[in-house]
Amino acid sequence: MAIRLSLGDEVHHVTILRRHPHLVLVIDGEEHEVTRLPGAGDGRGVVSIGGHEVAFARATLGDRQVVRLGGRTFDVSRVDPFSKGGAGGGAQDALKAPMPGAVVTVHRQPGETVARGEPLITIESMKLQTALPAPRDGVVAEILRAEGQTFEKDEVIATLEPETEDA
Amino acid sequence: MRKIQSMISTSSADFRRYETHNRRLLAEFRERQEKARHARPQRDLERLSKQGKMRPRERIEKLLDPGTPFLELSSLAANMAYDGDSPSASSIVGIGVVSGREVVIRADDPTVKGGAWYPLTAKKIVRALDIAMENRLPVIHLCDSAGGFLQLQSEVFPDKYMAGRIFRNQSILSKMGVKQLALVFGHCTAGGAYIPGLSDYSVIVRGTGAVFLGGPPLVKAATGEEVTVEELGGADMHTSISGTCDYPAGSEEEAIHIGREIVAQWDRPRKWDCQQEAPEDPAYDPEELYGIIPDDIKKQFDMREVIARIVDGSRFHEYQPAYGATLVCGFANIWGYKVGILANNGVLFNDSSLKGGHFIELCNQNNTPLVFLQNITGYMIGREYERRGITKDGAKMIMAQSCSRVPKFTVMCNGSFGAGNYGMCGRAYDGRFLFTWPNHQIGVMGGDQAANTLAEVKVNQMKRNGGAVDEEEVRRLWEQTRSAYQEQLSAYYSTSELWDDGIIDPVDTRNALGIAISASLNAPLGEPGYGVFRF
Amino acid sequence: MTAPLFRKILVANRGEIACRVMRTLAEMGIASVAIHHRVEARARHVRMADEAVEITGETPVAAHLDIDQIVEAARATGADAIHPGYGFLSENARFAEAVAAAGIAFIGPDAATISLMGDKISARNFAEANGVAVAPSVMPTDDIDAFVARAEGIGFPLLIKAAAGGGGKGMSIVRSAADLAEAARIAASEALRYFGDGRVYAETYVERPRHIEVQVLGDGEGGAIHLFERECSVQRRFQKIIEEAPAANLAPGLREEICQSAVRLAAAAKYRNAGTVEYILGADGRFFFLEMNTRLQVEHPVTEMITGLDLVRAQIEIAAGKGLPLAQADVAVNGHAIECRVCAEDPDRDFMPETGQVQYLGVPEEGWLRFESALDQGQKITADFDPMLAKLVVHGKDRGQAIDRSIEALGGLAVLGVKTNIDYLARVLGHDAFRAGELHTGFVKEHGAALAPPALPAETLAQVLAAAALGFREFQELALGTPEPYAAIGGWRN
Repeated sequence: MAIRLSLGDEVHHVTILRRHPHLVLVIDGEEHEVTRLPGAGDGRGVVSIGGHEVAFARATLGDRQVVRLGGRTFDVSRVDPFSKGGAGGGAQDALKAPMPGAVVTVHRQPGETVARGEPLITIESMKLQTALPAPRDGVVAEILRAEGQTFEKDEVIATLEPETEDA
Repeated sequence: MRKIQSMISTSSADFRRYETHNRRLLAEFRERQEKARHARPQRDLERLSKQGKMRPRERIEKLLDPGTPFLELSSLAANMAYDGDSPSASSIVGIGVVSGREVVIRADDPTVKGGAWYPLTAKKIVRALDIAMENRLPVIHLCDSAGGFLQLQSEVFPDKYMAGRIFRNQSILSKMGVKQLALVFGHCTAGGAYIPGLSDYSVIVRGTGAVFLGGPPLVKAATGEEVTVEELGGADMHTSISGTCDYPAGSEEEAIHIGREIVAQWDRPRKWDCQQEAPEDPAYDPEELYGIIPDDIKKQFDMREVIARIVDGSRFHEYQPAYGATLVCGFANIWGYKVGILANNGVLFNDSSLKGGHFIELCNQNNTPLVFLQNITGYMIGREYERRGITKDGAKMIMAQSCSRVPKFTVMCNGSFGAGNYGMCGRAYDGRFLFTWPNHQIGVMGGDQAANTLAEVKVNQMKRNGGAVDEEEVRRLWEQTRSAYQEQLSAYYSTSELWDDGIIDPVDTRNALGIAISASLNAPLGEPGYGVFRF
Repeated sequence: MTAPLFRKILVANRGEIACRVMRTLAEMGIASVAIHHRVEARARHVRMADEAVEITGETPVAAHLDIDQIVEAARATGADAIHPGYGFLSENARFAEAVAAAGIAFIGPDAATISLMGDKISARNFAEANGVAVAPSVMPTDDIDAFVARAEGIGFPLLIKAAAGGGGKGMSIVRSAADLAEAARIAASEALRYFGDGRVYAETYVERPRHIEVQVLGDGEGGAIHLFERECSVQRRFQKIIEEAPAANLAPGLREEICQSAVRLAAAAKYRNAGTVEYILGADGRFFFLEMNTRLQVEHPVTEMITGLDLVRAQIEIAAGKGLPLAQADVAVNGHAIECRVCAEDPDRDFMPETGQVQYLGVPEEGWLRFESALDQGQKITADFDPMLAKLVVHGKDRGQAIDRSIEALGGLAVLGVKTNIDYLARVLGHDAFRAGELHTGFVKEHGAALAPPALPAETLAQVLAAAALGFREFQELALGTPEPYAAIGGWRN
C-alpha cells in the first residue's frame, strides 16, 4: 500500500504496479496507466490516464492536496494509518514522574475525562514546575499522589482507566 | 557490436526434446521451491495468526517498494538436509529496493520450528552478511526466531563460520559504514539478541517482539527470578528504559512503516561508474534456452546460443574469435551494464586457458565486471598437453581470475567439474553472486567418470593381487559410486549445502544478473595487481 | 502635458476596489495613498500605493469606519482628494461632510445627496415626486392595526425592508396579514441592531423579480447621462454573485424607459459624480424604484466593458470640475459583459464563509477577461473582511459568447487552499435557464437541486487521485525515484 487518500468520506488506496514503459498505478484495485506525468510542485499540470489527458491545478497544504480538475475542486488528504503512533498502547495507562519531586496541582480527579495533551498534574522539581500532560484521551482512574506529596523518578503518580476494545 | 547469429532451429527434433526435458526439470524445480516456500503445518500457521503475526514473506512484500523486483537467494537451502525439516534453511534472504534504496533483506521464518536456527540457517545468514560486506549493501533484518536449534548446537555454535560469524560480520559491516536495520517481530534470544543489538537502527513490535540474552525459562533456571517476556525484553522496556531498541511499534504493519521511513533517511552512497548504456531486451527469446541445453550432461552445445538469450540485443563483441575456441570470450551488455563474458564450449586447452587469462586481464584493465557462464568438465589432460604446459596455463588463468579487482558473477549452466570450476570462478573464488540452473551438476568429476575411474582402480588392484577380476564386485562398486555421486552432483544437493546463491530458472538469469551487477557497484573496485604468473 | 487633476488621492478602502482605483490613478499620473489595518500591512493595495498610512481600530473593519483617522491620514499626507470606493464609508454623509470640511475633495456626491438617497424612505419619496415609479408601500406607525389595514390595501405578498440599510438585513417576505405585525417587529429590531435605525416599511413584493440597475453620471448641475443598465438578479443571501450588462431579453422600449427614469432622477437630484439607480422589474414589465446607490458599485466593470469607459477616471474628472465625459448620444453598447464574484465560501453548505490560505493562484489571461482582485499567492483568507475574493469580468460579442467565455475562464481559474464558489458559478452559467435569460432574484433557490455538484465519474476520480498522489513528494519519489534496473524489471520474483 503506497498511499491512502481520503476524499470526502471515502478512503482510497493508490499503489504502484509498474514503472516501465509507463507508470501503472493501482487505484482502489483497478489498474490505470499514466502516460503523461505531471511535474512535482504546486501549480498547473497535465496528467494522462487511461488515454485521457486532463489539465489540472494543484496546491499542497501539508498532508492535503487541493486539485482543480474538470471544473471541480477536490480536497484530498493523505491518511496516516498510524497517527496514534507507536507510543500508543498499554504504556499509556500510567503517568510516570520524569524526575523526583512533589505534586503542585492536580488538575483532574478520578472519574473525570481528560484529553490527550491536557495537563493532568503539575509537579515541581529542582525549582522548576512542569505540567505533565495526559498521554491519551481517557478517564482518570487514580491520582496516587496528592498535592504536596513527593515521589521518585519513574514512580506512577496517576493512572487512566484502561481503554476498552471499542474505543 | 554485432548480433549473435543463432544457428539452431527451434523446430528441430533435438530442440523439442531438450525443451521438454528442461521444462520438466523447471516444473520440478518450481514444485520443490513452492513447497519450500509455502508448505507449512497448519498448526504453525494458526499459531502465527493467533499471535497477530504475518508470515515472513508477507512482511517482506510489505517492506519492499511496490512494483519492484526481489531477487531471492538460496530458496532451496537445506532442501536435502535434516529430512527436509528446515525448508529454505528457515530463512529468507534476498536483494530488493526499500524506500528507493538497494538493500539485503534477511528474514527469520517463524513458521519453521519457531524460526530456530539450524546449522545451514547460520550458514545462510553468514552468507547474506558476506554479500552485504562484499557489495556494501545495507541490511534489513526481520527478526523472529526461537534461537539456535539446540539438537544440532555443535554445528550451529562453535566454529569459525558458524553463528558467531553472524555477529562478527555485523560488526565489520558497521565498521565499513554500511547500515543495518533490525525489525523485531518475535523473539531475539541469546545470540539472536545481538542482531538488533548490533544493528544501527531497530524497531520492535509491542506484544510479540522481545530481545533478551536469556528468556524467562532460562532466567528462572539460572537465578530463580520470575519475570514475563514483556518485562524482561519487551518493546516498552527496551525503547524507554534500556535503549536497546529505538522505535516501539503497535503492530507489525506499523513496524514495517517505521522501518521504511528509517531507510528513507539513509543517504545514497555513490556507486562506482560501471560503463552503462540504455538497456535492451535480447533479440532472441530467452525461453529458447530450454531447447538449447541438452538432456544429457555429456552432450556439447554452443554457449554463444546461451549468451544470445541473455545479453542486451543479443549483441556480443567476441574477443579472439579464432583462437582458443573452447572458451568463448567477449563483451556484451546486461541490463545496460558492460560486462566481460567467459563461457565454456568444451574442455579448456592451453590456448583457451591463455585466452581466458588474457581476457580477464583486459576486463580488469577496463573496469569491466566479469560474468562466467560455466559448462566445464575440466582442463585437457594427457601427455602432449602437460608437455605444452597445461598446468601452467591453467594456473595462470586461475591467478588472473583470483586476483581480479572487478566484481565477478558466475552462472553454472550445466556441468561444473574439476579444476575447470576453479578457473571459471567457482564458489571459492569470491564471486559476488553464484547461480545455478536446475540441470546443473557439480563435482570433482562426473558420476560416470568417477565410477569408471574407481572401477578401473579396483580392477588394477585385483590384478595386482594376482587373481581374477570379480566382475560382480566391480559392477557393485561402479553402481554405488555412481549413485552416491548422482545424489551429490545434483543442483539440489549443491544448493541445499549453500554451495551457491540459488537455483534459478534459466530465463531469470538476465534479471538476476542485472540486479546482481547493480548491487555489486555499491562497493569500490578492489586493488589492482596480480601475483606471479608462471609463464 | 496637462497637469494632473489632483496631485494625490487617498483611497479610503481596501482589497480589489482599492487596487482598481489605484490602477486608474497611476494611469492618470495621480499619486495614491493607501490606508490599512495592521493585519494588511503587506496587502496588495498597500504595495500598489505610493504611500501608506496604518489605521487602527478594535477590528480591521472598525478601522476602516473611523472617519477622523481617515481624514487625518489624508491631511497628514497632503492628499487633495479621497476616493471612498464602495461599502465602508462610501455612503456615509458624515464622512463626506468631514472630508469637505477638511478642504479635501470627496470623489462622489455631496453629503446632502448622500443623506437623501441613503435613507430609503426619503429616497423613495423623492423618486415618486420626480416621476419615477415606486412600489406601493406603507410605513408602520404606532397604530399597528392601521398599518396592517393599509398593507392589506396594497395587497400581498409584501416585502418588509429597513429604511437605513440593505444587503438583506432587516428584510423579509410576508404573504399574509397574520404574519405582518410580527415580521415588522422582527425586521425593526434587526435594522436597529445592524444600522442603528429601526425604521422599516412594507412594499409590494414582486414575484420572481429581476434586479435591474442603471449606471448614471451627473455633473452636479442637473446634467446627467446613463451608461445603460445592468442585471444583478443572480443572488444568494440577498447578495449579488453574477451581474451582467446589458440585461438579457429587455425590450428596447422598456430599456429606454428604465434608463430615462434613472436619468430623470439623477438630474432632479442635481446628482454629482457616479451613481446607480436600482429597480425591480416584474415579469409583467412593471418596474419599481428600489434605491439609489451614491457610489461606484462592485459590478461597475461590466458597464465599463460594454461602453469602453473608465468609470473611476470619469469620477475623478467630475470631481475635478471637468463635467461629464461625453454626451448621451455618444454612449453605445458594444457586446455583452458578465461578472462573477469569486467568494471564499462553501456553496454546498449554504454558502457558509470559509477561511484558509491561497496556496496557489492561477488566473487565465485573455484580452476579453479582467480579473479584479487583491489576491496574492500565499495570502491568508481570514474572517476579518468580506468573503469576496475577486471579480472575474468577461466580455463577449453577444450574451452567448460572454457566457461561454465566462465558463471557460472559471474553468481555468484556480484559487487553491480555500474553498470558493468558482465551480458553483460555472454551474449557474451553464444552466439552461441562465442561458435563456430566465433570471430573477430567486434563481439560486429555485434551481438549488440542479446546481448541486454532479456525481463524480470514476474516470475523473482516478485522475484526481493520481494527480493528488503524485503531488506528495514521497509518492513521487516512490513512483519515479526507483533506481535502475529495478524500475525497469518491475515486480519480478524468482
